[in-house]
Amino acid sequence: MSRTYVLRRGLQAVGTLLVIVTALFFLFRLGLPDPTVALVTDGLSPEDRAAVRERFGLDRPLVEQYVIYLGNIVRGEFGTSFHYKAPVAGVVWEKFANTMVLMLVAIVFAYLLGIPLGAYLAWRRGTRTDTLGIVLGLTFRSAPMFWTGMLAVLLFGVALGWLPTSGMRTLPYEAANFFDKVFTLDFLRHLVMPATIIALFYLGSPLLIMRNTMLEVYGEDFIEMARAKGLPERDVLYRHAARNALLPVITQLAVTIGLAAGGQVVVEVVFSWPGLGREILQAVRTSDFPLAQATFMLMAVLVIAMNFLADLLYGALDPRVKLR
Amino acid sequence: MNTTTARRHAARWVAAIVAAALLFGAAQAQEPIPTIEILTTTEAYDPIRYESAFIIAEAWRQLGFDVIVRPQEFSTLLQRFYDEQNFDVTILGWSGRVDRLDPQHFLSTLDSRQTSLGSNNPGGYDNPAYDALFDAQSREFDANARRALVHEMQEIAAPDAPLVILYHRDEVIAYNATRWTDMVTMAGEGLYNEWTPLRATPLTDDRVLTIGSPQEPDNVNPLASTSVWGWKWMRMYYDKLVRLSPEIEPLPWAAETITAVDDVTIDVTLRAGMTFHDGMPVTAEDVKFTFDYYIEQDFGYFRAFVSRIASVEVTGPLGVRFNLSQPFAPFITVTLSQIPILPAHIWSGIDNPGDLNPDEIPTIGSGPFRFDRYDRGEYKRLTVYPEHFAAGDIQIEAMEMIVFADSEGVFTGMQTGQLDMTAWRMEPGQIPLAEANADLVVVGVPDFGYFHMTWNLRRAPFDDVAVRRALTMATDRQRMVDVLLDGRGEIGSSVVAPVNAFWHNPFIERFDYDLEAARAELEAAGYTWNAAGRIVAP
Repeated sequence: MSRTYVLRRGLQAVGTLLVIVTALFFLFRLGLPDPTVALVTDGLSPEDRAAVRERFGLDRPLVEQYVIYLGNIVRGEFGTSFHYKAPVAGVVWEKFANTMVLMLVAIVFAYLLGIPLGAYLAWRRGTRTDTLGIVLGLTFRSAPMFWTGMLAVLLFGVALGWLPTSGMRTLPYEAANFFDKVFTLDFLRHLVMPATIIALFYLGSPLLIMRNTMLEVYGEDFIEMARAKGLPERDVLYRHAARNALLPVITQLAVTIGLAAGGQVVVEVVFSWPGLGREILQAVRTSDFPLAQATFMLMAVLVIAMNFLADLLYGALDPRVKLR
Repeated sequence: MNTTTARRHAARWVAAIVAAALLFGAAQAQEPIPTIEILTTTEAYDPIRYESAFIIAEAWRQLGFDVIVRPQEFSTLLQRFYDEQNFDVTILGWSGRVDRLDPQHFLSTLDSRQTSLGSNNPGGYDNPAYDALFDAQSREFDANARRALVHEMQEIAAPDAPLVILYHRDEVIAYNATRWTDMVTMAGEGLYNEWTPLRATPLTDDRVLTIGSPQEPDNVNPLASTSVWGWKWMRMYYDKLVRLSPEIEPLPWAAETITAVDDVTIDVTLRAGMTFHDGMPVTAEDVKFTFDYYIEQDFGYFRAFVSRIASVEVTGPLGVRFNLSQPFAPFITVTLSQIPILPAHIWSGIDNPGDLNPDEIPTIGSGPFRFDRYDRGEYKRLTVYPEHFAAGDIQIEAMEMIVFADSEGVFTGMQTGQLDMTAWRMEPGQIPLAEANADLVVVGVPDFGYFHMTWNLRRAPFDDVAVRRALTMATDRQRMVDVLLDGRGEIGSSVVAPVNAFWHNPFIERFDYDLEAARAELEAAGYTWNAAGRIVAP
């Protein structure tokens, strides 16, 4: 992997981001209704609303707004949310952390379980175990999460009363910072249900991708060779075959993590998880431009970064891949 | 474009050309009334308004109108209705905020001076007699005389069918009766009103009233919040000169006495001994400061309430005189009951209060409860302020609110016993489940807000009163209440709801559902029907 490669890809990423940032700005402003329109129902007159628009800076020409917006981004400022009348960064970071802790736990579990399970199914191909594994993986992948989530709430929350049904912590709680909030048993109890529901949903991808690539790898000569050397089947499976089958799963993992910032809105709703997904939905519905722009930009940054990372990892995992 | 769509496109063009040719050939008078578009909410946003549109469309088609229903995202719907006035017919609603019990606001939605873009009368009803009465009632200080004017306004507007008031939807909420008693219900407010925390009595040792809601304040800045959920929370820790009683009578609250010297001069004497939560006394200077501050800051949410105040004078340590620029009937019931008393020693140093960051917003009031904490998106809590004059009667030690993502989460919280009461109405599907739960008591209160269908009077055929009257008769409001609301509501007739009994005029034209009468009304006005059964204008 050469330094010029990293530099070139880095510049490409910045270019992509600029296009996305521009598209977001014009998309929201031209496509969404006036952010002050909902104030009519609160009894604000057209003059009152014009004053609000002026405070938001929406009375200025679009190009001027765009220049201010770009300048702010370069300085790392994302403006003030129209709805909360609070700096966007504060709203977004807190919700982003809430979403990522849920999503990452779920994704890590799904892949830690799915990769070896997929390899195992490939090894046991054609048997009942294989069929059962595929059917279960596909079932959880296809079952809508609001439904599985609600079933879990009804069973473990309402009927059995084992687990809390909403939020991240039992309220009220004192937490000096984010880590203070999540490194508690109470948080784990709140995390179990939503994380499991999402993990089960994601499980299908690594499971099936791993199984399929393993089957391809199994046909290769070097597997025959390993067996001929008299290696135990477990070593053949996990050391020789699985390592070579990992590449497509890594790509999938990178994309999944990249998209995780958007959260799983339905799960956030069912479990009243105070995450970014719900915030994004609300920002678009209320035409909260600064908040919507910042959240979508965050998602874009994450997707671009994770793709970049996956490319670099390819080189490390497979010496045949040369990055120039 | 694949071949099927290409063919379909071609077919559509041919059809259009043939139709155009036929139209030219036919007698001009035979041209039917163009398609009417009904805008409504999406099914996800409000299934009841969505279904109502289809009930209406079905009946209108029987009269020979061509009708299409178009659900819109909510803010798009608001934009087309208020800002663009780009609609034939729109189904929307007005929420029943307490300050709207005074008829001023709802009556103003038919005022012809409110017909400009973005104003409250997008339908465009224009009746000089109505406008004149509106001005007269707004200046009338004598309640009975004002009532006569308000009744007359409703009476003269009804036959013109300027809009259809579809229904008033009952606020149906629940509380846990194994843990609480003496809960207070209020029309339009349900249980989450100003009085429940003051009167609720715990049946267990747990003296914290836990409320669940899918709604959250936009912020708790008294100079920036424009949501009813912000004010429903803030009104517990800020005091007002007047509070509206559960029976919706104005009660002097922070005011000891309120005297109207004449119809533009109101004298207020404050209660002695009140303090803010930081221990500073509440004085006449604070009251004067508050009103001056709201006027000077030009805060839109309250502008209509304070716009008639010419000046505020301090007449003594506890005495304040309000001088109005012109008589304003809702001054005591609305203005004095809505404006919170702010501590001058804190706010006087803040020049741009609307721009405060959330962690800089002062939360010191003089109300019966004291601000404790607010964790956005999750939780908020108030504790009793023991120095308040009403504190002796309060049975709880704190009230807290847990924020949920939707009403389903709130309902689960009620079922598991996590919550004591709901702040917001339950969905029709949850009501029977709550009734079947032995721990819960379900309460329904009538609403004085309303859902309406407004037509654009600037456009044909709605510029013709006969069409409006006929289409009103062809709007089956009883079916909406019986089927869509499961009987939990009342059919509408006037912008002033029946529950608002003092101001509501029950003796106005009501337009019961009657397709035959509707047809007769259209025939009498010269409308005919073509061979295809489509209605044709005279």
